[in-house]
Amino acid sequence: MIRSAAFAATLALASFAATGAFAQGKVTVVTSFSKDVTDPIKSAFEKANPGTTLDVQNRNTNAGVKYLDETKSNPQVDLFWASAPDAFEVLKGKGLLQKYTPKAEGIPAKIGAYPINDPDGFYFGFAASGYGIMWNTRYQQANDLPEPKEWGDLATAPYYDHVAIASPARSGTTHLTIETILQGEGWDKGWRTIKEMAGNFQTITERSFGVPEAVNSGQVGYGIVIDFFAFSAQGSGFPVKFVYPTVTTVVPANVGIVANAPNTKNAQAFVDFLLSPAGQEVLLQPAIRRLPVNPAVYAKAPEGYPNPFKDPRFAAMTMFDVNKSGARTDVVDTLFDQLISFQLDNLKGVTKAIHEVEGRLAKKDNPQARALIKEARDLVAAMPVAESEAASDAIRGAFTGSKEKGARQAELEQKWAAFAKENYAKAKAKVDEAAKLAN
Amino acid sequence: MSLALSGASSKPARPWRLPGTPGQITLALGIGAFLLAFLIVPVGSVIYVAFTEKGTGGFTLVNFADFFRTDLFLRSFWNSFYVSAATVVLASVFALPLAYITTRFDFRGAVIVQTLGFLPLIMPPFVGAVSMQLLFGRNGTVNLLLNDWFGFRIPFMEGLNGVIFVQAIHYFPFILINLSAALRNIDRSMEEAAQNLGSSGMRLFRRIVLPLAMPGYVAGASLVFVKVFDDLATPLLLNVKDMLAPQAYLRVTSIGIADPMGYVISVVLIVVSVLAMWVSALALKGRDYATTQRGGGGLARRRMRPWESAVAYGVVGLILTLVLAPHIGLLLLSFATIWSFSPLPDGFTLAHYGRVFGESSLYIKNTLIYATLAGGIDVVLGTAIAYLVLRTKLVGRQWLDWAAMAALAVPGVVLGIGYLRTFFDVRMPDGTPLATLWIVIVLALAIRRLPYALRACYAALQQISESLEEAAENLGATKARTVRRIVIPLMTGGILAGFVTSFATAAVELSATLMLVQSNADAPLAYGLYVFMQSAAGRGPGAALGVIAVLLVAACTLLSQYILDRNQKNRGAAR
Amino acid sequence: MNAIAKTSAPEAALHTEALDVRIAGVNLSYGTNHVLKNIDLDIRAGEFFAFLGPSGCGKTTLLRLIAGFNTADTGTVSVGGRDIGNLPPWKRDVGLVFQSYALWPHMSVAQNVAFGLEERGVPRADIRRRVATALEIVGLGHLADRRPSQLSGGQQQRVALARTVVIEPKVLLLDEPLSNLDAKMRVQVRRELRDLQQRLGLTTIFVTHDQEEANTVCDRIAVMSDGIVQQVGTPMELYERPANLFVANFLGTANVVEGRVAGAGADRVFETASGWRLPVMSGIEVPAGARLVFRPQVARIAEGGDGAPALRGEIVRREFLGSIIRYGIASGGQEITVDEPFLPGQAQHEVGANVAIDVPASAALWLA
Repeated sequence: MIRSAAFAATLALASFAATGAFAQGKVTVVTSFSKDVTDPIKSAFEKANPGTTLDVQNRNTNAGVKYLDETKSNPQVDLFWASAPDAFEVLKGKGLLQKYTPKAEGIPAKIGAYPINDPDGFYFGFAASGYGIMWNTRYQQANDLPEPKEWGDLATAPYYDHVAIASPARSGTTHLTIETILQGEGWDKGWRTIKEMAGNFQTITERSFGVPEAVNSGQVGYGIVIDFFAFSAQGSGFPVKFVYPTVTTVVPANVGIVANAPNTKNAQAFVDFLLSPAGQEVLLQPAIRRLPVNPAVYAKAPEGYPNPFKDPRFAAMTMFDVNKSGARTDVVDTLFDQLISFQLDNLKGVTKAIHEVEGRLAKKDNPQARALIKEARDLVAAMPVAESEAASDAIRGAFTGSKEKGARQAELEQKWAAFAKENYAKAKAKVDEAAKLAN
Repeated sequence: MSLALSGASSKPARPWRLPGTPGQITLALGIGAFLLAFLIVPVGSVIYVAFTEKGTGGFTLVNFADFFRTDLFLRSFWNSFYVSAATVVLASVFALPLAYITTRFDFRGAVIVQTLGFLPLIMPPFVGAVSMQLLFGRNGTVNLLLNDWFGFRIPFMEGLNGVIFVQAIHYFPFILINLSAALRNIDRSMEEAAQNLGSSGMRLFRRIVLPLAMPGYVAGASLVFVKVFDDLATPLLLNVKDMLAPQAYLRVTSIGIADPMGYVISVVLIVVSVLAMWVSALALKGRDYATTQRGGGGLARRRMRPWESAVAYGVVGLILTLVLAPHIGLLLLSFATIWSFSPLPDGFTLAHYGRVFGESSLYIKNTLIYATLAGGIDVVLGTAIAYLVLRTKLVGRQWLDWAAMAALAVPGVVLGIGYLRTFFDVRMPDGTPLATLWIVIVLALAIRRLPYALRACYAALQQISESLEEAAENLGATKARTVRRIVIPLMTGGILAGFVTSFATAAVELSATLMLVQSNADAPLAYGLYVFMQSAAGRGPGAALGVIAVLLVAACTLLSQYILDRNQKNRGAAR
Repeated sequence: MNAIAKTSAPEAALHTEALDVRIAGVNLSYGTNHVLKNIDLDIRAGEFFAFLGPSGCGKTTLLRLIAGFNTADTGTVSVGGRDIGNLPPWKRDVGLVFQSYALWPHMSVAQNVAFGLEERGVPRADIRRRVATALEIVGLGHLADRRPSQLSGGQQQRVALARTVVIEPKVLLLDEPLSNLDAKMRVQVRRELRDLQQRLGLTTIFVTHDQEEANTVCDRIAVMSDGIVQQVGTPMELYERPANLFVANFLGTANVVEGRVAGAGADRVFETASGWRLPVMSGIEVPAGARLVFRPQVARIAEGGDGAPALRGEIVRREFLGSIIRYGIASGGQEITVDEPFLPGQAQHEVGANVAIDVPASAALWLA
């Protein structure tokens, strides 16, 4: 025993010496991207910058942010490299990023309607992706289901219990999708769309990758995912298809330099490389398959590669207000969880019943029953918080802990959950009533 | 029993006298300092948020009131409670027949069953869940076949039932190991006396064998209960969020939300876990029969009649197939080209192993070093704590035990964040933070797995008659030398069992390491696996890495089992 | 410690009957190890019978065979004329008291005793009554609610006994019941056992390695060695007329003198290498290769001697045992033991004296 303790001590000392010898050409990046993405970029970067090694630390976005926050007193990493812009907003807000002006040229200010770079210069978009619907063709054929084209399709009866999505509180990109719908359709109508779709959810995953994983293995039929999840699955041979709906969301992927980074120079070199034509071209590789932010690079893209700078589907995207989104991130995510994630069984119960009654009404109409169904849908769609309230100081304060807070977060959550539960129960009663009439 | 004896045999302490030898006091203080530095302070630095008001940071208990006022948390609490209890029941259904058949009957392959029965504990993260979905999910192998042949599906993996199913498979070895040991310790005359008085079959089992094996069963069952209550990985991978541990995790790791409720839940988890261990200890007070029996050589092994034999092999085979299903699925997955919505993969390939071959050697090396060191630290601490608690009269020695066991309930991510918070500002001479050294990963793993090793060491020491130590002291050995020459050699079996459990489970641990891994060069296997499992193309290589991890840990387990057996045979011959 | 109550007669409430036990042609082997060899025994109804022998002689194996925990390769075991050889232990109604007592630690004394009755589906009220009776018989009525771990060794032994007799077994088997008790308790408990057996009238088989226990308690004894029943008889028969050297040596002290028998008919004479001769009484059978065996108390010591050829030797040891004095006499390379009664005033022989040993021909045994 004593020997093993001594052994441990020796090893500790040895590692001391090892870390003490700082590699001169080193740059460390915290990223949520998979190996498929990081490996080719790493080798291209190291080739372009001989003598510099890129050390990749893999963490999911949330853990990465937490990590940077906990280690801010003495940062050991140089770069944060992930998709979700809101994660960068949080880091920026906490002063964990440093400003830089990349040397790259030819990159426009916007992709679709989304600004590529942080206007204040703390983080930079280097790629974009589009959101859409991915499905397992074997699943679809075995269950005799249609091929979806639009978001609204997923809210219809055939898709009941066949759809998966990641929780917006856990997946920055899903959050962006939800926010896009809310901004595009307006608060109340947007939530109505989201809830009608959510009534068909089989599951709400905790990780972004949980959705493509479930679709790939055929446990769920349809998933709301970023395009590259579907394309890399196709590339690996999985029987999946993908479609961009008419209104898609452009999701930028970003990189930012950590404040007080130990290797700032190398970090800047990495950002410059990523935005240079050489770095942008790596994104076209089939295993990565992201949309470069430099329009010139698309000349080298293979046939059929979507070009957000020309494709009208991307241009059709509504104007996205980053400030509006940032002001209510917590509120939107918490509302989604309290009204949908944690009430999913109740919501699905109502939705299923509505589908059934509507199916019967389609064969034999009954105005009274239709009216009841409408009431039920309104009850389901009702929100405990108006748009103006969502960004109010009182409610935001509950999440940030600022002085203006009206109630504690836990109190709000309980209130919203109770609201949803009660409304769903009332709606279910209406539908049951309608079911009796619709016979 | 032994505590009472030690009380009777030691001299009445005079009030001004030290309660133990200076060596014992130093040891106790040392362990106390270790637990303080690497468990209590880091966890405390995270948990204290539960007692503060958001924004102002002032002390408040209102968060706990909120916990009990929020439906979601109460529902989560009861769900966690229900899942834990139901898991214990289902795990018992798996463990009881295996333990009973292999210890009670002349059963060919009993050693293999016991070894295979240990495997489910080594379930690598992510891939285990994926392979379970592919086998038992809504469109997994079993349900696709059922649906084809009979037109129905069994919701194995849906909601809470899915969590219970997976957890029972994952954790039943704790019951198997403890129950088997307890059954082996029952003096055979206990059973014969009952037969002689007219009892047989199930009645004999229910009235005599089971009650006598109860201490072992309860020890295993309480461990299962607490582990399931505190586990967040399985519910999250099955997308079940309305349980306590996942709620804590989701809230603690959500971006930018300084929500005290996650920490409140952590406190609740710790309190409930310690309470559960305490209740089980209370229930067993004065009932540790195994230690009061001497000789007898355990239950008589009966030869089975042919039909009994057929039934026994059938039952054992069925249970093993079920509990090893994740590993079977994992193996298939590692060789599969594409496996999607079909009972079996479309084709098989060796390419995934080729992909991981190069980089896995680094992961394997790191894993072996980390898990070995963690296991080593655990058995040293476990032996020392067991000795202090059982053999000395030091004031507060029980606290060491409780503190160490509390580690069971600390979510890995809380420990990880706590380590960053506590050790990041501790600089090495060259300016690198202490928290970035890989040794910190080892310490985190050691703390996380300490409860397993501690229980094994505790049980081993409890079964050693104190007269053996008194004999050594009587012949002139000091306390320290007695421990080294008598106690530790006799505890070897228990120590090794503790080491194996700590080692094997540390080798596949992810939650704490994910926060602490600082560079790819320091990463263990579980981390490499996590990285692979983030993309569609990584599923096969991830599974291959998982298979390598399982084989590696299983090989080490078998090796120590072999050493253990040989050791015991030597001791048996010397007797 | 007036444990087993002798007043009143609670045992009258137990309905025991005496049955004979017959063991015929029993053989048992563990692999190549032949543990029991052609055992034939008739144990009479109501008898207190002992299996006596050194450890490893097969006596416990035979007892467990009767209880059903071992299975004979050949032969039968019957109780009261009924073959029980094919019954499992729990259907035999043969009460066994274990050497370790095997009290279940998770049950109270009363629960331990009630167990067998519960297994037999006896009505609750009867169980309570019979448990009380059984505990009263062994004098432990006041300890019914204790746990076994709270009892002394002697008390545990009585609980084990009560637990066994309460089921009114057809036969009572006792496996070294006294071995875990101290010397004083052993004497007391063995008397109590005998007393209880007499009152219950139960056929009882007692396994022991201690001849004194067997002699004092049992009606008859089967002396066993190497898996063979060497001799069956009452304690006195075995002592007076041992069938062979093993029995003579195992029961009491015996002197064995090497030599050979010469002559025939009335002129048979035993002669040692040193030339001492002892006539063999007529009508006594002398097996081939027999040696002279005599008990220490039948010989006398004569100082000096008349010169006639005698069994001579030098006193090397003198032990005072109270009523007798035991002399050890070195003679022809062996030590012969002679006991003389201790009578006050009588002169004793000194160590170192050269003496002659007088062995009466009538007390001589000829054993192979």
